[in-house]
Amino acid sequence: MAELRRNPLNGQWVIVHVEDSWGPEKYEREDHSILAKATCQFCSGREFFTPPEIEALRPIGSAANSPGWQVRVIPNKFPALRIEGNLDLRHDGMYTLSNGIGAHEVFIETPAHERNLADLNDDEMFHVIDKYQSRLNDLTKDRRFKYVLIFKNYGESAGTTVEHPHSQIIALPMVPQYVMQELEGTKAYYDRYQRCVCCDMITQEYRDGARVITDNAQFLAFCPFASGYPFECCIIPRAHTCRFDTMNDGEKRVLGNILRETLARIKGCLGDPSYNLYIHVAPVNDGPHEHFHWHIEIVPKLMRTVGLERGTGFFSVPTDPDHAARYLREAAVAARR
Amino acid sequence: MPEFRQDPVIGRWVIISIERARRPGNFIDPINRRRRDDDQVCDLCVKPESPVYTMGDICVVRSRQSSATSGPQAPNGQNGLYEVIKDVGIHETIIETPDHVSNMADLPVGRIREIVQTYVARFNEIEQNTRLTHALIYKNYGLSQFAHHACSHIMAMPVASLEITEKLSGAQQYFRDHKRCVYCDLVEREIKDKKRIVVETDDFLAVVPFAARFLFETWIIPKKHHADFAQGVRGQEEGLARIFKIVLQKIKNGLDDTAYNWVIQTAPFRRQDAVRGKWQTIDVDYHWHVELIPRLTRMAGFEKGSGFYICAIPPEEMAEYLRDKEI
Repeated sequence: MAELRRNPLNGQWVIVHVEDSWGPEKYEREDHSILAKATCQFCSGREFFTPPEIEALRPIGSAANSPGWQVRVIPNKFPALRIEGNLDLRHDGMYTLSNGIGAHEVFIETPAHERNLADLNDDEMFHVIDKYQSRLNDLTKDRRFKYVLIFKNYGESAGTTVEHPHSQIIALPMVPQYVMQELEGTKAYYDRYQRCVCCDMITQEYRDGARVITDNAQFLAFCPFASGYPFECCIIPRAHTCRFDTMNDGEKRVLGNILRETLARIKGCLGDPSYNLYIHVAPVNDGPHEHFHWHIEIVPKLMRTVGLERGTGFFSVPTDPDHAARYLREAAVAARR
Repeated sequence: MPEFRQDPVIGRWVIISIERARRPGNFIDPINRRRRDDDQVCDLCVKPESPVYTMGDICVVRSRQSSATSGPQAPNGQNGLYEVIKDVGIHETIIETPDHVSNMADLPVGRIREIVQTYVARFNEIEQNTRLTHALIYKNYGLSQFAHHACSHIMAMPVASLEITEKLSGAQQYFRDHKRCVYCDLVEREIKDKKRIVVETDDFLAVVPFAARFLFETWIIPKKHHADFAQGVRGQEEGLARIFKIVLQKIKNGLDDTAYNWVIQTAPFRRQDAVRGKWQTIDVDYHWHVELIPRLTRMAGFEKGSGFYICAIPPEEMAEYLRDKEI
């Protein structure tokens, strides 16, 4: 049996297979052997191979682009967009186009090639989140940008071409389609009920309990009721906020804790799958978007050959999110540090 | 300099990366293709026991997942905030030939015409179920989880997907603004520009869209305006079969027999005015067409998380490559 479920954030319908739901063993495992360490440009000691760093966490007094750093932010060597110029939006008959301005940077999360974001300790994790926030805030100062997306591709089938642990940030002069859909969906709900749909969702997730993976004082990690992909996870602040940019150190630390724990559970439960992670923050420079509730989505890449959603727009999910959450809750993970 | 381009129907932006461009001829390693034409017995080679429909030796079978009641008393549910429909609709597989041919590109035009006629027949039959609002006809070719025996699918649902709703709304908005159909305008513009045309026939135009999301994405658009596939294709079944064959052959020969998906995009069912709802003006707004997407690239975090696509080759170059490809 399958059923259709509506994602309350954006109105997307997904097909969820609630009977004969697939467990972790049904999905293919992917090999993440370390192959490219000898030539890795992100490793400590090879700083001169990358474009000059934008920011880095390094000992006081140490020179930029020298070894000794803990987290390093560099421009993407092969950027999808260019930083120079003004947005030149123009019409060409029925078509609209513009020059491709934007920023595209890379966070090197650790100098250690073989480590994995899920294996960082709480301090290291805090510093990664801290750099996410710092770059988001810096790029927001550029008034040309309307959106800043922080994301991570882990593993080859999730689209990464570099083994060394890293994540990326792209600043864009327009708000992307999926974020727009969430903004519109949450706004429509707010206008109708004078409440935030994410806050209502958090209340219901706590009441139901079945889809909760883990939580702490400030964040909840759960498998969304209308997940578009199997074992999809969402990490969301428990209290309403559209601000990622103003999180204080304590909040960043507990976000790091739950992110690390969730990634470790995914790794433990699904055998270190490739995944995509992205942070949906509110648009920048044209707020306020008080009705929006920022969150992180993590999508393990378990099926290499999904095809239904391309074109039809229907997502078909072989694992019931209730089951996915149970597997993730029960996964053995290293004790919190 | 890379370029942003906006899809004129949905308003979705894509990045066309011009300097990083990979040359079209470089695609000899489609990532999703892991075909096993080995000694496994193909399920679809066996004549099905209880087809729901046949035309000659084309057979249509219903999938086990199908569940569709008719009438308004269908088992809907609400789980607090969450809406649930227990009724997932109808899913059928069209087995295009009894022979073990895998790519539709290798079927004769006459056979493809019969397949198109089968789609129309199933579409009209499924439309009788008043519970269902929308049908999609699609194909996934060369993906390992499917049998490599030429087949396509029809899926009819009680709801429309977000992507389709946006497309319908976008076309509706364009009509309100311009009093013209966006796809009719697009056909006119593309014939004038020429540079994005893959092939043009008397009744159809195949183009790489201005704001292509995927490498070698191709739209096949009928020149004659009609919102609905089953009605619009009447009298043009042969013409659709012919352009399908040409485009699929170009994709096969030019892109090393890559895996691909295509979907026939058509208006929701319009049985009577009472159930049209938001789509009162659909007959003038919307224009059926086929969207074909070769599977040459992976979706990474940026695309998945934002819906913002990066296309590594300018559409004009992709169209030129396919246009010049011999069949």
